[in-house]
Amino acid sequence: MSRHRLTVVLSQAQGKHPAKRALEESLVAALIMEPGLDVSVVPYLYDLDAEHTGRLFLESIQGDMVVLSWLFSRAAFWLLDRDGIKGHLGETQLKPPAADEDEEDAEEDEPQAPKGIGAVAVPDRHIYCLDLRDFNDHEPYVAEIRRIAQECRQRQEAKQAAQAQAKPALVELGLPAMAEKNATLSEETRFAPEQILKPPDRRWYPVIDYSRCTNCMECIDFCLFGVYGVDSLERITVENQDNCKRGCPACSRVCPEHAIMFPDYKTPAIAGAPVGNISGLKIDLTKLFGGGDAISIAAQERDRELVRDGREAVGLTVGIPKRQAGKHEEPKDDLDNLMDALDAMDI
Amino acid sequence: MADELTFLMGKFPARLPGDLRYARTNHMWCRQAEGKLRFGFSAYAVRLMQDVYFLDWVVSTGTAVQHLQQIGHIETSKAVADLFAPTSGTIMAFNQELLKDPSAINVDNYGAGWLFDMEGDASVLVDVGDYFAFLEANWEKTQRMLKGHM
Repeated sequence: MSRHRLTVVLSQAQGKHPAKRALEESLVAALIMEPGLDVSVVPYLYDLDAEHTGRLFLESIQGDMVVLSWLFSRAAFWLLDRDGIKGHLGETQLKPPAADEDEEDAEEDEPQAPKGIGAVAVPDRHIYCLDLRDFNDHEPYVAEIRRIAQECRQRQEAKQAAQAQAKPALVELGLPAMAEKNATLSEETRFAPEQILKPPDRRWYPVIDYSRCTNCMECIDFCLFGVYGVDSLERITVENQDNCKRGCPACSRVCPEHAIMFPDYKTPAIAGAPVGNISGLKIDLTKLFGGGDAISIAAQERDRELVRDGREAVGLTVGIPKRQAGKHEEPKDDLDNLMDALDAMDI
Repeated sequence: MADELTFLMGKFPARLPGDLRYARTNHMWCRQAEGKLRFGFSAYAVRLMQDVYFLDWVVSTGTAVQHLQQIGHIETSKAVADLFAPTSGTIMAFNQELLKDPSAINVDNYGAGWLFDMEGDASVLVDVGDYFAFLEANWEKTQRMLKGHM
């Protein structure tokens, strides 16, 4: 029976928020005591660029992995994927405490499986992303990580049992490229702790959720700053992340599948909150408060960035998807709760 | 001066004072005094938002703004929304107390919960009767939008 170890990476919050730091420290202290876990700390995931030691460290991890971050799970998972840190999506059972009792019903409503183009070149391991904003203390996370470790162990054992039956000889399941890379690294020099934890500069760029992305290419038509590109498989990618204008979320409003996330944006829907799942997701009243529809807001935001760049505003004349006027832009969530709550309150 | 009107949102009575004018585009009331336009959320808006947690302005005082230009952002127990200028003009002052504690918006939306003062074009604002009619005409559509059926 092989000893399966689970790598747990904690990605710190930006800045020096004392409550966040306290949670991170108590979590790491608790996790280090757990058997079978390799625990590491890296800076804020979203800000790590290709040269950052923290990212190189993440790339070197071969097996199953848990990533704890101050990001929505969906945002963390897909930003890792874009960085070449790929794996199958690990299902977590960690749900934030329901804000009110209405949400119990909403969770029964499973959203339809989105029909995206999916990730490619996915190695056979799982990545579990946990959101550090869901709970204020470390216990729920430790419990969930224990459950995940168990799940990974069982999965590995099942796989090895199946292999043993199929082929008598021991087969090293394929991450040969990674193994080679790992062999050339000198642990001390490449992953020195002060290098891993070097504070990165703040970055701003979109993250594509390929489980939702249909490759429609509306984003690359819309963005006039060259952020998007197409890879050798004719798939849309966020090619030039640092071309993206800080604070601008316009392209995410234009995506018909809500597949574009800006993990640092203030509105949960754009930052990568679970789609179709109401817990923690609030109603966006922007349209009622003068906001107009998503496309016109996106065009305004884009114009603001164009003008700031010394270019001409284009309004709706360039790269605007042709859709039926008045098509409902929001995700089709069941938001009866609010109106029922309003009616029920007998003030 | 017009009488106060009450618009029923389901069972909830949204009180609309008669001595104020209203911006239909963003559900704000307006009190005109000494050439200044003071704005705040109408009872209708407050009811939709529920408890205000956090308010943030993205323009500074003294800035000229266009009608429907984004000026801020709000987050509440049930909702989030971007906020937009109710008319064209210049924002003269924000209610600083709200930035420390926005609960006055829920407790006294027509008084201590005022949002900002502007100098600007009051012609887009309507009286309570027209605002009430607007709410009535759009109530069905608004409920559907909130329930995500549109």
